[in-house]
Amino acid sequence: MNALDVAEAAIAAAPTGDVLAHVTHERSLLLRFANNRPTQATAIDDVTVELAVVVDGHLGRAATNQTDREALSSCASRARGAAEAAAATAASGEHPGFQAVEPARTHQGHDAETAALEPALGGAALATTFETAERRQLEAHGVWTVAEDEHAVATSAGGGTFESTTDALMKVICIAPSGRSGYASSMGVAASGLEAGPLAERAAAKALVSGDSAELPPGAYPVVMEPRAVGSLLELLGDTALNGLAHAEGRGALVDRLGQQVAAPAINLADSPYFASTLPRAFDAEGTPKRPLPLIQDGVARAVAHDLRSGALAEGPSTGHALEPGGAADGPLPANLVLAGGGAASLDELCAPVERGVYVTRFWYENVVRPKETLITAVTRDGTFLIENGRVMRPLRNLRLTDSVLGILSRVEDLSASQQLTSHGEFYDRRFAYGVVSPALRAGSVRFTDATG
Amino acid sequence: MRDLLRDLMDAAATRAEYADVRFVRTQSERLSTRNRAVDQVDSKVTEGIGIRVRVGGAWGFAAVRGTGKADAERALERALAIAATQPRSRGAALTEEPPAVGSYASPAEQDPFAVPLEDKLAILAGAEAALRSEPEVALTLARFQAVRVDKLFASTEGALCGQVLTECGGGVAAVAVSGDESHIRSFPTSHGDHMEQGGFERFVALDLPGEAPRVSAEAVALLRAPECPSGRTTLILAGEQVGVQIHESVGHAVELDRVLGWEASYAGTSFVPADAIGSLRFGSEHVNVTADATHPGGLGSYRWDDEGVEGHTVPIVREGVLTGFLSSRETAAEIGLERSGGCMRAEGFGRQPIVRMTNVSLEPGDAGTLADLIADVDSGLLIDTNRSWSIDDRRLHFQFEGEAGWEIENGELGRLVRNPSYAGVTPRFWAACDAVCSESEWHLHALLDCGKGEPGQMMHVSHGAAPARFRDVEVGVA
Repeated sequence: MNALDVAEAAIAAAPTGDVLAHVTHERSLLLRFANNRPTQATAIDDVTVELAVVVDGHLGRAATNQTDREALSSCASRARGAAEAAAATAASGEHPGFQAVEPARTHQGHDAETAALEPALGGAALATTFETAERRQLEAHGVWTVAEDEHAVATSAGGGTFESTTDALMKVICIAPSGRSGYASSMGVAASGLEAGPLAERAAAKALVSGDSAELPPGAYPVVMEPRAVGSLLELLGDTALNGLAHAEGRGALVDRLGQQVAAPAINLADSPYFASTLPRAFDAEGTPKRPLPLIQDGVARAVAHDLRSGALAEGPSTGHALEPGGAADGPLPANLVLAGGGAASLDELCAPVERGVYVTRFWYENVVRPKETLITAVTRDGTFLIENGRVMRPLRNLRLTDSVLGILSRVEDLSASQQLTSHGEFYDRRFAYGVVSPALRAGSVRFTDATG
Repeated sequence: MRDLLRDLMDAAATRAEYADVRFVRTQSERLSTRNRAVDQVDSKVTEGIGIRVRVGGAWGFAAVRGTGKADAERALERALAIAATQPRSRGAALTEEPPAVGSYASPAEQDPFAVPLEDKLAILAGAEAALRSEPEVALTLARFQAVRVDKLFASTEGALCGQVLTECGGGVAAVAVSGDESHIRSFPTSHGDHMEQGGFERFVALDLPGEAPRVSAEAVALLRAPECPSGRTTLILAGEQVGVQIHESVGHAVELDRVLGWEASYAGTSFVPADAIGSLRFGSEHVNVTADATHPGGLGSYRWDDEGVEGHTVPIVREGVLTGFLSSRETAAEIGLERSGGCMRAEGFGRQPIVRMTNVSLEPGDAGTLADLIADVDSGLLIDTNRSWSIDDRRLHFQFEGEAGWEIENGELGRLVRNPSYAGVTPRFWAACDAVCSESEWHLHALLDCGKGEPGQMMHVSHGAAPARFRDVEVGVA
């Protein structure tokens, strides 16, 4: 049975009421390595069946990873009991219920070779990485991972939709005996795009930059950020500003600001589920088809992401961003963010106008401080350098950034023409691979509050 | 199921240096109300088998849903194949451990899954009503959750044991909004509610309806409170924030896999060297930290960890000096320890065990009550309930912000201040600890969102802590 068969069986197990079944089937393989040796290897084959039942406008949900008739009936019974208990506590609820689901648009998000989850491919990638690192007297750390996921949604109103996707990620951190480190990563639909040798070389080159580490006192500096660093900031913008539930409840950073200038005119940000270098997705956890959604155009805020629940609160439709049927507790999020590139041909060109500034490879432990201000904090990691007189000159002690994401985007001066899909690749809970497609950028007066070593 | 696990280990014994297998069934229930309406009524049941093998020093792990014999045998073959295709490894032998045998169930007076949904929702509705007395409150939340994990473990060394762990709890929160200001107050904690091992009685004891009026009133008061002043001052952290401080700057820093560099690709490493036991000064003589996998009610309590090591107590810091690590059989062997710390835990059946915190706690001091601690401060700041947290990948430089702060003047609490933040460097900060409240103020504080590992694993942990005082700390930094 594929995921759609399971979804339809789950609907059949709940013979009455307004019901939606969301099914994911994960097959994944993840190899970890550290200190030039393999440390963990995890293969997962699991199914998640989520059933959502609406009774008198109230939602009840239940989930199982078993697909036999008895397990699906039990799951349906628990979901209905939950909805009935909710309905018994109050007057009619506000959930609009589930509509019939149309088949999804096709996309190029699946690669058959990657779906084989061949461990020897990963073993060879690790061996290449170790050889590269050892040749340079470095220690390599990182992951190589591939997955195939099936997604399906069916409702009691009829119809169903299905897609099968693959994703592949490799990241390498090289650490020199001095403790200096460098990072490189690659992500895409196909494992064939993960070139271990070049990734290890890029990470090694950063770890081996010569010179004593400079230190900058806390203050505001011009910054050049690589795509992974930009992607981290945009993910936090998703949490604080683009979340339709927070927006509808008056807590979002774009409340009363849609239609206003919130970033530099060069900023064009959209959720683009079919963009060439993203991980394509055809529909969300409620079966709503995904479509391109302009979020910030020429620096002007245009929209936030909604699921059915937040859309109903905002008296509008879902934009196809539900993470769970009925809506996740923290609300919907854009999972295919794409920031348009600019005119800079290279990172060197972005650095050229900087008299004295900071070059950031990536951030770590990014966290929201005050969501309504999009104020966040994060530390730089694995490749922080001092830019002087337009060139990357020498390593820099890591720094703590504490600044507003919209503030940084308002101070963007230029972006690179090329973009890259990047992700932390955390894969908590069931695998939901996503990343941000972004260029590198240069921004003025970014606030750093500490040097962190 | 016991026969299946035993058969799998018999089959693995001749093909791997070591193997273990876990069957895990996880049942969870989450209920919440939001802005006076029922929001979530969710339940989830998962079960499956995870098999871990070691071949040529390299680990292979395969997880499969369900309990079918054929699927489990395929998972064993997959784990062996994955281990065999990796580069050879020079991994140390595992520390010796007697095979775990027996059964255990954590205490629970009232089964939380047997209580009718309507009864739980009624308590949440009562809390919601009490949160709604303030007109500027934009969002109110009341939550209940319960988790039961039923697991069996077997190994090629003859272990075969089972345990059932039940957790229950909840929380409330209110968000007040005015213009660009937005403030949240939470009770009892901000990191995904407060839970303890136990039954429904743990949820009832929280008295959410009783605490709700204060929570919403403080959220609204923060809208008009002055900004936390910047500078260096004496800082008192309430117990929940002490728990987060322990978690981030002590607990993670002494995880031996991090110390050995094995988590560098994601969670990071540690400033603590592997040979630092007995020599590294972690803090002042008031700082005594213990990892205790046997503390009643703790979310890091169990009879056996997920590689069959009996849960026990490990002194981590004594009078400010490092005395131990959180470890596994493999990491302990790497640095020559005689025994694992018994800290291997896995989220569900689909993840392999990694070194995690048990109940890592700051031992109570002799400074009396929070009022006594405040009375001994001429000028300072009290911070309560964590709102934002960030620390570098070596667990050295941190920045935290609380939900609420109060100025302290001449031994008394003064004005409420908003956005109270502080920053520091781990050993310097703990060296500045000059008092910890006594046992009467010491409680377990839950943290339900401890993320680590690849693929990611979310773990529930508890930290015992009482309010503590730190001198000359930089505050008002964000």
